[in-house]
Amino acid sequence: MEEENNLLDAKKQNILENSKKSILANKISVKKNDKFYALLFLGPSLLLLILFIFYPMLKTIYLSLFLTNGNGQNTVFVGLENYVSLLTSSTYLASLGSTFVYVIGVSVLTIFLGLLLASTASKNVRGSVFFRTIFSSTMGVSISVSAIFWLFIFNPSIGILNQVAAFFHLPILNWSTDPNLAMISVIISTVWMNLGFAFLVLFSAFESLPLSLYEETAIEGVGPVYRFMHVTIPLISPTLFFVSIITLIESFKSFGLIDLMTAGGPNNATNMLVYQIYQNAFLNGNYSQASAESVILTIIIAILTFIQFKYLEKKVSY
Amino acid sequence: MKNQKRVIYNLIIVLTVAFLSLLPVSLLGNKQASAADNSKRIKIVFWHEMTGPAQTQLNEFVKQFNKSQSKYQVVSQFEGTYEEAVQKILNTHESNTSPAVFQSADISVSQLYHSGYITKVQKFIDKDKSFNVNDISSVARAFYSQKGELLGMPFNTSQPVLYYNASLLKKYNITPPPMNPSYSDITRVAKQLYQRSNKKVKGMTMEVYGWLFDQLIANSGNYSVNNQNGRLATPTKASFINSGSLKAMEWIQENVKSGDFINYGSGTNASANEMAAFLSGKLGIFMESSADIGQLTLGMKNQKLGVTYYPHADGQKANGVAIGGAALWISNDKSSEVQQGAWNFIKYLESAKNQATWQKATGYLALNKNSKKTKTLKNLYKKNPALKVPSEQLAKTVPNNSNSGIFVEGIVQERIILNTALDQIYNGSNIKSSLTQAEEAMNSYIKNNNRANGWRY
Repeated sequence: MEEENNLLDAKKQNILENSKKSILANKISVKKNDKFYALLFLGPSLLLLILFIFYPMLKTIYLSLFLTNGNGQNTVFVGLENYVSLLTSSTYLASLGSTFVYVIGVSVLTIFLGLLLASTASKNVRGSVFFRTIFSSTMGVSISVSAIFWLFIFNPSIGILNQVAAFFHLPILNWSTDPNLAMISVIISTVWMNLGFAFLVLFSAFESLPLSLYEETAIEGVGPVYRFMHVTIPLISPTLFFVSIITLIESFKSFGLIDLMTAGGPNNATNMLVYQIYQNAFLNGNYSQASAESVILTIIIAILTFIQFKYLEKKVSY
Repeated sequence: MKNQKRVIYNLIIVLTVAFLSLLPVSLLGNKQASAADNSKRIKIVFWHEMTGPAQTQLNEFVKQFNKSQSKYQVVSQFEGTYEEAVQKILNTHESNTSPAVFQSADISVSQLYHSGYITKVQKFIDKDKSFNVNDISSVARAFYSQKGELLGMPFNTSQPVLYYNASLLKKYNITPPPMNPSYSDITRVAKQLYQRSNKKVKGMTMEVYGWLFDQLIANSGNYSVNNQNGRLATPTKASFINSGSLKAMEWIQENVKSGDFINYGSGTNASANEMAAFLSGKLGIFMESSADIGQLTLGMKNQKLGVTYYPHADGQKANGVAIGGAALWISNDKSSEVQQGAWNFIKYLESAKNQATWQKATGYLALNKNSKKTKTLKNLYKKNPALKVPSEQLAKTVPNNSNSGIFVEGIVQERIILNTALDQIYNGSNIKSSLTQAEEAMNSYIKNNNRANGWRY
């Protein structure tokens, strides 16, 4: 009997183990199928990413290690020399500095003014619908059109700004030719361009705020500034975070307005990193230098975005 | 199941409709090709960078050339700016999209010469007895030549000149500058204008534009880069600091200090501002390409435009200035038959009659010496004598290595570097230190470029 029992036990165990194995095998086959489907569905986008993002990225790094000859061919391998000469060139460092001034100026002003406009427009007063339309209307203006009319405003001889200044006997300023003023004028027009988008996104965040919270704070007798800083800002912080990242990256990449308004001048005051890349690649045919500049710009944006995610996101309450 | 069937039916209907609608288009396409009967003609692809009235006139020339003979069919294609076009030309060489003949600007001469992608037009000139190259302006030819051989054929050509508002000068009772003015002549007029208008009218400006700076050097007989502007050997160093540039910049700073000089900065924005101020009577004098003359005469309806030669330093004769504009080049990646067609087209454009028409339509200077005998130009000069000035300046100049342009690669870079220096100088910086910085930047560019090309550095 015992032997029989033993045999039965052995059989049972065998069956158990077999079934375990088959389950395992099934699992593996499911996994294999999953991978196949994942590859099938992600494949096309992966292919496109490799073709249009990763390959050009690697090629850019490769190109940045050479010198370009007159025919646009990369002839002499120079290692990191392009980077060294860039990071020691005073014009490049100056352009790095002016880019930071520009980016910070544009981002801070856009967010500040966007918040101001959005909070004003969200008040339900007569005519607020009209102002909402006006505030977001810059989204519909093309860069070239806005560049042209800002140029007319800033024109040193016939510009409105200087005509008004002359009327009130204020000093006449050379907006687009004085290096410092040129930067300010470019910042003003960029902020104006970006404001529509920032306003619209922030405004929608304001609209979705729960009214009950505001009623409670009203009952508690909280002042408007305190309420704005401690109730409104935390509530819209995810949107604010989104707008700040987008504005920052966009202002790093801004090109059209600068090309049309100052073309990098005067005295390189508005020669941002992106504009230098364009000049080197498409006007000079110096592809290697432009590649090195692109790599540096990519690194800078990556670092800044990383910092934003690491530190700013902690303050965001979802 | 039913739904699936319906989807399939709909799909079939959509595809059928799409197919049927495309059918007539493809049939029509075939018809057009056979109707034009261009298949027997040899196709000559021509790339150009002309816009506005110049583009219209150029296309008219292409049409007339195609009508004038039956062997070749020139197809003109617009390729954007000069800087963009030259990159495209170099990048498409030996592909089936590359042009047979193309327009390329003054800034690319050295680059195209060294590219090995062109057939020198000298080769066709030597063979073609029907074409007398001496009819074409010698200053313009010198610009596009190296070692006595003409590389590309000068086509749309301008020269820097000085413009003044003659009506404004008359209003304030100021004697206009002479035809060949010195720096002090211009300073006098600019200062008088500024003072007598109670500082309401600015006396003068010079756009922050390296080309104008290089031309001041050329007019003084000096060189912008060593080895005589690269004409004797590959340049290895910039020479922005010389007696000519120093005198010129001192002249500018003198006017900046006395307040009669206004700085409009650099770029298209600057030239637009400058033009707007000049046309509205708020600026008396400016220096720019003669190509602006058409726009200026149009804009100054009730005012009189004055034009003089490019200014020169006091106590010294003007050496003459280099031309600006572009030339026509023949690619060497096409069959000899196509290249011959390209040459015939170039020859056609250079005729006395066509060059006169070209000047009338665009303001670019007629390069053929016989053009001034044509009725077109005679009438033009009678109507507006100011238009004659740039052509006379061009005709009077004797070419030498100083006024035949700079034979160096990277002139775009040179202009950017010089603009920085000019900006600094206009804003009161020390002339020598600004130009030294510019020289250093250009030297390192030249060095790297020579290295990349495998030349001596």
